[in-house]
Amino acid sequence: MVKFKIDNKVVEAKEGEYLLDVARRYGFSIPTLCHHEALGSDGRCRVCVVEVKTRWRKRIVTSCLFPVSKDIEEVYTASEDVKLVRRTVLELLLARCPESDVIRYMAAKYGITEPRYKKDTDKGKCILCNMCVRTCENIVGVSAIGIIGKGPEKKISPPFREASDACIGCGACVAVCPTGHIFMEDKDGIRLIWRKRFELAVCPKCGRYHAPVEQLEFISKKTNVPMEELLVCTNCR
Amino acid sequence: MLPNIEIYAPNVVPKEEFVVSGHRACQGCAEVLALRHALKIFGKDTIIAMATGCMEIISTPLPTTAWTQPWIHVAFENAAAVASGIEAGLRILRKKGKIPDKDIHIVAIGGDGGTADIGLQALSGALERYHKFTYICVDNEAYMNTGIQRSSSTPYGASTTTSPAGKVSIGQQTWKKDMVKIAAAHNIPYVATACPSYPFDLIEKVKQAKMANGPSYLHFLSVCPTGWRIPSEAAIKYGRLAVETGIFPLYEIKDGKYRITYNPEPLRPVKDYLKGQGRFRHLTDEHIEYIQKRTNEHWEEIKKLASLK
Repeated sequence: MVKFKIDNKVVEAKEGEYLLDVARRYGFSIPTLCHHEALGSDGRCRVCVVEVKTRWRKRIVTSCLFPVSKDIEEVYTASEDVKLVRRTVLELLLARCPESDVIRYMAAKYGITEPRYKKDTDKGKCILCNMCVRTCENIVGVSAIGIIGKGPEKKISPPFREASDACIGCGACVAVCPTGHIFMEDKDGIRLIWRKRFELAVCPKCGRYHAPVEQLEFISKKTNVPMEELLVCTNCR
Repeated sequence: MLPNIEIYAPNVVPKEEFVVSGHRACQGCAEVLALRHALKIFGKDTIIAMATGCMEIISTPLPTTAWTQPWIHVAFENAAAVASGIEAGLRILRKKGKIPDKDIHIVAIGGDGGTADIGLQALSGALERYHKFTYICVDNEAYMNTGIQRSSSTPYGASTTTSPAGKVSIGQQTWKKDMVKIAAAHNIPYVATACPSYPFDLIEKVKQAKMANGPSYLHFLSVCPTGWRIPSEAAIKYGRLAVETGIFPLYEIKDGKYRITYNPEPLRPVKDYLKGQGRFRHLTDEHIEYIQKRTNEHWEEIKKLASLK
């Protein structure tokens, strides 16, 4: 166990634990966009920055990926430097996604209503936090989407910007997206997501659409529950 | 039956619990389920002011508590007033530098009695003063914890202990009070209805309510197996039926704009919803037809409001 101070409060943590987890355990609030307890950290949004003072120097780090070690003497979660960096990060994010309510709300807390930089128009609400990709890979287990392109062209998409065979239309990426960028629509028995059209299964008992056929087939294969049982919607089951 | 269905979206809901086990809610209580999902989104930095009601009775018999967030029990009528006091107090303490500059959200929770009957005045005042807080009404359609007395939120035709069905009366004789419209009439940034049978919809609305720049009002339909006289395992099912029959439409009003968040069309006949419930079992076809007519009118009205952009 290592002892150090966060904002003048003595905390204890295991070596190797991430700073964000320690701070949250002791009740400090550090905002994040790309951190999720089921997915872990990826260090992409850069909103979770804190200032770490070691024996030799002070520096700004992303708390979600900074492991606790014996060298840490003190951590500041709301010093002037931290606020400045966080404000800049949020301003850049807001310039990238001016439509996003979540980022606008977070930025407003740091006094930013309009970014100084030129606003992007082609990025939608996506901040490239990679959470949807990690969910697809680690939680659903199909890896239907990924990051494609480089530099300003970088975006989340199925391979080759085409409908992916791997996607099962479960919508877990929609649920996890912090800004609500991913588009999903159920209409007239068709689910539209990631440029792919999914046929929705009809419940034989009540005659309503409930889940994509491909998703049910995937679950059936994975759990060995027969398809006939899965076709009945959760309401009639 | 389906052990691995939770491999998807449910896995990305926050795992920390704020309503912990050991409380005394009835078997199959959907009210505590709704609050459990909602408080997960509000997170650790939240202060709750809760009016007397089911949720207070079941969670805090004297030496114990089921809440891990700061929680204040207030009288039936002033949950909203206390919440606005907390908000104003915190603002001043923050201004004076006595507490760290944290984003603390205030939530006031009341049952349908505490909201629609007794606490309406305090709620209206708090909404009008534009305090930044969220009011949650957990609506189980009667005063359940004192023995199922009627409230103004009890639906037409329901039999309760103070509006019993018999030869003279059919039970509750007035239509349910539309609290959502009353809240929306204060021109507040966010008003929504939600049902714990649709947890992702509920979570999404709680997120919006938390971000609203001013007061927000959430109306949860919380199925009560004890008071509605249904088997306890059917609570989720009746929540879904209420939505699918159009009796409880899921919609939100954001900055005055209506949006239907779940479109159950084609609507099921209301009979599906009414027939299994003990509180409605005396209803004749005539009454059911009347309820069907009013329900359709209400649904058409919401649809019309939602299409106006």
